[in-house]
Amino acid sequence: MATTRLEQPKGGFNFDNYQRNVFLENKGIPVPKMTKTGTTIVGLIYKDGICLGADTRATAGPIVADKNCEKIHYLAPNMYCCGAGTAADTEFTTALISSQLELHRLTTGREARVATALMMLKQMLFRYQGHIGAALVLGGYDVTGPHLYTIHPHGSTDKLPYVTMGSGSLAAMAVFESKWRKDMERQEAIELVREAIESGIFNDLGSGSNVDVTVIEKDKVDVYRNYAKPNERGVKEQSYKFKRGTTAILKESIKDLVIITEGIEEMDIS
Amino acid sequence: METQSLRITPSSQPDSVSTNKSIAETANSFGVHDTFRYGPKSIGAEILPKHPLENRLKYWEETQTNLKFTLERRIYGIHAPVRQLMERSIVSRVQRAPILPSSNLSLDILMGKDETIDFEDFLNVPEFSTDMMDMHASMEHKLGIKL
Repeated sequence: MATTRLEQPKGGFNFDNYQRNVFLENKGIPVPKMTKTGTTIVGLIYKDGICLGADTRATAGPIVADKNCEKIHYLAPNMYCCGAGTAADTEFTTALISSQLELHRLTTGREARVATALMMLKQMLFRYQGHIGAALVLGGYDVTGPHLYTIHPHGSTDKLPYVTMGSGSLAAMAVFESKWRKDMERQEAIELVREAIESGIFNDLGSGSNVDVTVIEKDKVDVYRNYAKPNERGVKEQSYKFKRGTTAILKESIKDLVIITEGIEEMDIS
Repeated sequence: METQSLRITPSSQPDSVSTNKSIAETANSFGVHDTFRYGPKSIGAEILPKHPLENRLKYWEETQTNLKFTLERRIYGIHAPVRQLMERSIVSRVQRAPILPSSNLSLDILMGKDETIDFEDFLNVPEFSTDMMDMHASMEHKLGIKL
């Protein structure tokens, strides 16, 4: 609508082109595909904390858009969040909540709790009725201990000792269901997360490439980017580069493009 | 919107009863739609269904505030919401001329929005808007004077 506005427009989402897009869609021009993180993301609680894991493939329909993207997002010093769904939505949702948590920390003067982040996330996602396609696994360690939640795009949440999300969640959950125990050791937990993510990588087409792991303990976070690389590209047995001189030179001519003149030109002072 | 409703969220579609549209808002002194100032008008675009989120986001804050005030009214009596509305009304008067952006910090403080960040704070911010605004029309609209 190219009309004169009478009031200052408000920021946020703009729906001006909605009817045009519906019209174009009816004419057979579909909207462009979004980049999805057809994903396997997992989290589990072990003896001293939380272990989060994610694969690193981003897809746009049948195309692999990114082979090594990051799906474990920073929220606060004691909190991390894995994101599945529309890539941009998970990234902006977590960045926004991260900023809100920092403002909250500055206001209250104490470290934000995981439940605070959970409420911020679910209230925001509920307001947008699933149009923000972010499926999240939230994990953190606060004064009340370790907490692990999943948040669905419409705003519903679960609190469980081991969770999975994304298109590879079934493969990963199968691993957790068979091998998760209460009070696991740190290394055991990391290996179980790696195994769950790898089952997603190999059995789900939306997931692939490497395994990212983040371990959150009391006052300590370890980020293991590319903890396992089960899909290293093999080394080629031969070099397929053309040798120098493969293409024959038929003729060669070199021209001087800059003409150098001797002497000083008189300045025009007329 | 009902003043004493206990709605938590706005409905996704605007009330179906109010489908009669008028050009009273955009009419010039001759009583017809002012195309020069407001652009071409399409009845179809005004009546066709909008995006399911548009109405929800537009009235989200109003619904939440309304619910809060209704609850306060029932618990403490009418003075509680009246006092708050009065404060908000006083504070929202302190603004720049209508085509210039105002920060509205005091209003943000009263509404509890001064220490949060939301999509409207960094996506499509009005400061970077390239929309043309007519100073005179905006001022007339703000003061409720019709030319």
